[in-house]
This record gives sequence, C-alpha cells and structure tokens, in this order.
Amino acid sequence: MTALPIKSIFILAWRNLWRNHRRTLIMLAAITVGAWAMIFMTALMRGMVDDMLLNGIRDLPGEVQIHHPEYRDDPSINNSLGAADEQLVSVMEQPPVTAWTQRVRVPAVISSERESRGVTLIGIDPASETDVGFDAEDVKQGRFLIDADDKGIIIGAKMAERLETRLGKRIVIMSQDPDNNIADRGFRIVGIYKAKLASLEEMYVYAGIGTVQKLLKMDGQVSEIAITGDDYRKVDAWYPRIKQAAGDDKQVLPWYEADSYLGSMLAVMDGFVLVWMVVVFLAMSFGLVNTLIMAVFERVREIGLMLALGMRPATILSQILMESFLLLLIGLLIGNTLAILTIMPLQDGIDISIVAEGMEMMGTSSMLYPALKLQDVILANAVVLILGIITSVLPAWRASRYDPIEALNKN
Amino acid sequence: MKQLISVFSLLLFSTIVQSSSPDPRDLIKQAMDHWRGLSSYSEMTMTIHRPDWERSMSMRSWTEGDKTSLVRVTQPKKDAGNGTLMKDNNMWTYTPKINRIIKVPSSMMSQSWMGSDFSNKDISKSTDIIDQYDHTLVESRDNEGHNEYVIESIPHEEAAVVWGKEVLTIRDDYVLLEQQFWDQDGVLVKTMKALEIKQLGGRTVASRIRMGKVESPDEWTEMSVQEIQFNQKHDANLFTLSNLRNPRQ
Repeated sequence: MTALPIKSIFILAWRNLWRNHRRTLIMLAAITVGAWAMIFMTALMRGMVDDMLLNGIRDLPGEVQIHHPEYRDDPSINNSLGAADEQLVSVMEQPPVTAWTQRVRVPAVISSERESRGVTLIGIDPASETDVGFDAEDVKQGRFLIDADDKGIIIGAKMAERLETRLGKRIVIMSQDPDNNIADRGFRIVGIYKAKLASLEEMYVYAGIGTVQKLLKMDGQVSEIAITGDDYRKVDAWYPRIKQAAGDDKQVLPWYEADSYLGSMLAVMDGFVLVWMVVVFLAMSFGLVNTLIMAVFERVREIGLMLALGMRPATILSQILMESFLLLLIGLLIGNTLAILTIMPLQDGIDISIVAEGMEMMGTSSMLYPALKLQDVILANAVVLILGIITSVLPAWRASRYDPIEALNKN
Repeated sequence: MKQLISVFSLLLFSTIVQSSSPDPRDLIKQAMDHWRGLSSYSEMTMTIHRPDWERSMSMRSWTEGDKTSLVRVTQPKKDAGNGTLMKDNNMWTYTPKINRIIKVPSSMMSQSWMGSDFSNKDISKSTDIIDQYDHTLVESRDNEGHNEYVIESIPHEEAAVVWGKEVLTIRDDYVLLEQQFWDQDGVLVKTMKALEIKQLGGRTVASRIRMGKVESPDEWTEMSVQEIQFNQKHDANLFTLSNLRNPRQ
C-alpha cells in the first residue's frame, strides 16, 4: 500500500478544517491578532529605539569620534587634539563617510545679569556641523552661526528662560585657558534653538569654533572630530580605516563604544523582539493545541476507521499537521496584512506628546515613527510557523497512535 | 610706569578739573586710584544683612596697584584666617579649617564672595571698568559745595560684562558716591552706594559702602572702613600663596 499523495492529504486537511468553521474562525482570529501584535508592536519598539539611536548619535555627535585619549575621562581644554591632518582628511573624504566636523567642547559658565549656570560650550564650524550634529533647523529665533569666526552665540530656549535673557542680549561666557587662567568674554545671543529634548537646551551653547579657540587661546586645537557615514549599523565597515589614519596617539571610537548605553540598546532590542514574539506565541499556542486536540477527539472513530482501512499512522500525523499548518498560514496571512495596513497610515509618526516628558527621559522625542523591518516580519512568521507546527505534533502524534479496534469502539 | 602716569595726570587734573568738564574715563580712573592709592592697607568690617539674620566680619586688606590685593578675615573667630589673594585676574582663597589654598575657578567667579552681595568678580575685577567700557559724562551737578559727575559706562561688545550699562556718580574730589548696575533692558539691578564720607588716612574717602539688589531692598552688604593708610611700602612676599597660607603680618 502506497502512501497517500500530498494533494489528497491537503484536501482532507482543508475539508476537516472547515467542518467546524466556528472553531476554526475563532482560532484564526487568535492567530491573526497574535501575528498582528507581534509585527505591529515590534515596529513601534523598533521605531522608538531607532529614534533614540539617531537622536543619540546626533547628540554625541557622529557615528565615529576622535578624541585625545584622556579627553573622555577629563574633558578639559588640556586634553585637546591638533586639527585633522591631511592624511586623516583624505580618509574622511572617502565614502561611505558622508560628513565630518571638528569641534571644541569645554565646560564653561554662562551668566546673564541675574543668573549664572554651568554649560558645555561647543565651538562649531557652521559649514560642516549641520551634517553631523547640530541641526540649523532647530534655531527657532534669530539665525544660525554664519562662519567659524561668528561673534555670536546660540543658546537653548530653556537656557534663555533660566537666565532671564533673550535674543539680542549679551551674556558672558567664562572658562579656563590651557594655563588655567580665566578666559571670558561677552557674546551676543544671535539665535535660540529648541532641541527635541528640553534637557539638552540647558546643556549646550554653540559659538563659532574660531572665536572659541581665540577666547581659550587654543591655537587651532580642537576637542573632538566627529564623523558620520550613511548607516549607523554599518559603522564597523569603515571606522578601522579612520582609526588607522588617525594614529595611535588618538582615541577613535564608534558610537556604540562612545556611548555604550546606545550600543547596548541595539543589542537589547534584538533580544527583546524575540522574547516578545515567543511570549505572544505561547499565549496563542495553548489555543492552537486545544483546538487540534478537540478536532482529533471529535473524530476518533473516523481516524480508527481510516486506520482500519489501512491508512498509515504517518499519513494521519501529516494530515493533522497539515491542518495546523493551513490554520497558521491563513492566520499569518491575515495578521501580516492587518499589521502592514495599520503601520502604513502611521508612517508619518504618532504624536505621543501627551507622554513626551516621560519619553524624554529615555531619550526619544514626542513623535513615534514605527519602523517595519523585513527581518522582524520574517522572524515573527517563522516563530509562529515553526513553533506552531512543533506544538501540533503532540495531538497529531496521539491521533496517529490510536489502536483501530479501540478507536472504532469508542461510542 | 602706568602708576606714574596716573599720578601725573592726577596732579594735572586737580588743577583744571574745577574749570572745565573732565574726561569721564580719567575721572573713573582717578576715583579708582583715589580709593586704592599706589598701595594701601585698610581695616574694615563687612556686614551682611538678610531679612532674618545679620552677621559681621572684620577684615584687613592690602592692595598694590590695580591687580594685586590680599584680604584676610580677623573676626569672628569662626572665620578668622580666611583669606583671599588676587593677582592678575586670578583669585585664590585659603581656609585654615581645611588648610587648603583653592584657586577660584572661572565657574565660581560670579558666585558670592564670602557669602556677601559682592561677587568674586566684583572683588577681583573692579578696575576693568576703565578699559572695557565706553564712558560718557551725562550730568554734572552741584551738591553741598561739591561738583558731582554722573558717568554712564557702556561695556564694549565683547567685554565679559553682563550689564547693559553702569552709572557712576563721582564727586570732584574723586569719591565714588554711587555705582549702579543696569541690565540690558534698562532696569536697575543693583547699586553700590557710599553712605558715609570722611577723612581717613589723609584722604576723603567713602567710609561706608552698601551694595544691594534693587529687587530685594532688605538684603544688602555693607563695608565700613575703620582705618586706611595709603602708599605704604609692602613687603615683597605679601602677595604670595605662601603668605596667604602662613600670614606674616
């Protein structure tokens, strides 16, 4: 006796599936919702983390940073670098590097007539800075710096509020030069920026790098060189080249090492997605197993008859597995479609400004952009299909092991 | 040399000042020099007044030129020995309790000096006004037999000054009667005012000066000078860190 062709198994499974269509539909609904939840929620979380990483990298700034080896432990002016030399510049001009900039970054004190506060003074080169770090669009009042020797300063909206000052007024910046002497000068506020995170508005003030170097008697030195490529995930491909060109006396770090919190975020996220999917699946699998057990239980006599007529246990097994497979497949199909249909209209971002203050602490902004990734969709479907089939083996196995005499005699 | 010139111009000035309206910049310089002399030694009391408490400190101070000075607290016992040394825009403090000299970092320059209404910057950079501001004489008036000049000083664009302007009132005998600090919106923020003028150390000086914020009229700091001697020769080691730590006077 030959085994039943796969087509017959398919027909048997398909018809059996719709014998109790209400139960099948309920199960389909469960799988659909499960698949939808997996994909949709993952896209939301991915979006949140992506946003956090992009923001984080912009604030660092850059996907790769070059510092004096001591700078990160002691961000003082004494730990600065010479400006990028020709060799380094030539490497930084090659793709996939898209932009690089040099900055001076020192702790300073900003004072108005009524208040004074600690800040980080950042000397930027306006021409190259905007592609790497500070976004000129963020300047909401006044103007962005014109060139490296601009005499003005840009401060955050929150900082202006704290200092009880505003656009067009003068403030004093105080810091220390390399000989520990006080270096101070007045700056006129030419621009006020709004950051995505209000805490940053109080942390950074921006002035022209040339003006800052002159103020601090830095003689062309810079604190950091920030470099950005086309995709932060692919930084490993090119950062060793930068490292080589920079030489051993400098510290070159990719973003995930420069801010290990950001780096671990990405790894944690991958693990979290898998855990989330398995949890959703577990809830779903109980329903699935229950449905199949019931389906088998209802037709014990029928299975007994088929066995008695000479159908092989393996065919019974594959028939029930096929049933489960079809159920999962249809459920996934609808679930995927539904998930994509819900994500599509949300591509422009979900306004979550109601909870913005809390999100800010995590480093994300008040718009949430769901990020649908092919790998996550594949992972979700694979988890459901593979684990679904595995859980179905139990009822299918039991059905195929019935003794035909006993099965036929069951009421 | 600078000192010589200023003394010379002082002499020159005292002859012509009565007749014509003086150059405001020189007037301020004279007032500063008048108060400090080439060098000076003074004993004074600082009273810090707040709505719910008040405390006084006695101190001795030595100055030499524009940029060098030393202040040491003598009373009360709790604070005795605390010292501040200023030299070329740098500032150090010494506290016997912790036996440490601390260089006042730039971040602390705008904080208050010994808890008073004077900031470290007020104390260490009082003469910066001469070079970092543009001065105009806005008024000259007679008061109790003296000419009083009102000078408006506007800081240069890049000067490390937060004020929109300062208004100084200087009497024709170079006593600084009042110094007003205005913000950039034209609101008066704080004033330093001479409350009492008398003969001390052979000069007419303001012997009681009060510094207070306009917004909080019952918070002020008063300096009253008991004794002052001008143009004394100081020991070469007076303005040194080692002397700040181990007083030899």
